[in-house]
Amino acid sequence: MFEAAALMIALAAALALRRAIAGPSIYDRILAVNVIGTKTVALLALIGFIYGRPHFLDIAITYALINFIATIAFLHFKEKGNLRI
Amino acid sequence: MSGRGCGGNLIIKTVSGFLIPFIQLFALYLAAHGDLGPGGGFQGGTIFAASLILYAIVFGLDEGREKVYEKAAGVMAAAGVLVFGGIGLLCMAAGGSFLQYSSLLPGKVKTAYHLGIYGVEIGVGLAVAGALLLLFMKTAGSRDD
Repeated sequence: MFEAAALMIALAAALALRRAIAGPSIYDRILAVNVIGTKTVALLALIGFIYGRPHFLDIAITYALINFIATIAFLHFKEKGNLRI
Repeated sequence: MSGRGCGGNLIIKTVSGFLIPFIQLFALYLAAHGDLGPGGGFQGGTIFAASLILYAIVFGLDEGREKVYEKAAGVMAAAGVLVFGGIGLLCMAAGGSFLQYSSLLPGKVKTAYHLGIYGVEIGVGLAVAGALLLLFMKTAGSRDD
């Protein structure tokens, strides 16, 4: 059950990776990378359930927070041309 | 506020202002839970530095606050190394070898190990957070070029 869900999420992440490689504009790529990060959060939570290790939820939360910061930094860099603060 | 931070983007500012305290709380939780679960001083310090970097990117820093940030980051990095080495040398002064916590509280080995590892984690977290923040300020924050 959890294994099947994890496989489907990995497949969805692979499709998002295809969009990140082929994406015509930079925004497609940023959004695809963000989607892959979100899939990774769900995948980490599922792996935690599969192996019965609830500590994986901590890693999932960390990944979600860092993913958000990375997206903001990417978009800021795209808009301003540098990370000058 | 023209050209500083993310300009006037209300959504990014609101979401970041809501998230930054929780990110910092989570960083402290990770640093404190290093001996029980995943994480530890290094990871907690990294996430703490990430929250401060998010603040700097979204809200921007003016000239004076940038200087204060840089100075504080340098002091944090040095203080972390000092805490780590200080605990190690304290163990040596108490008669053990470097970072041998059991020599700190003779007779109470478990408490000594717990407090010693806790102090070392705090030192590592301070050093990592300060160093990462300093790297960010030095590479992304310069206005000279």
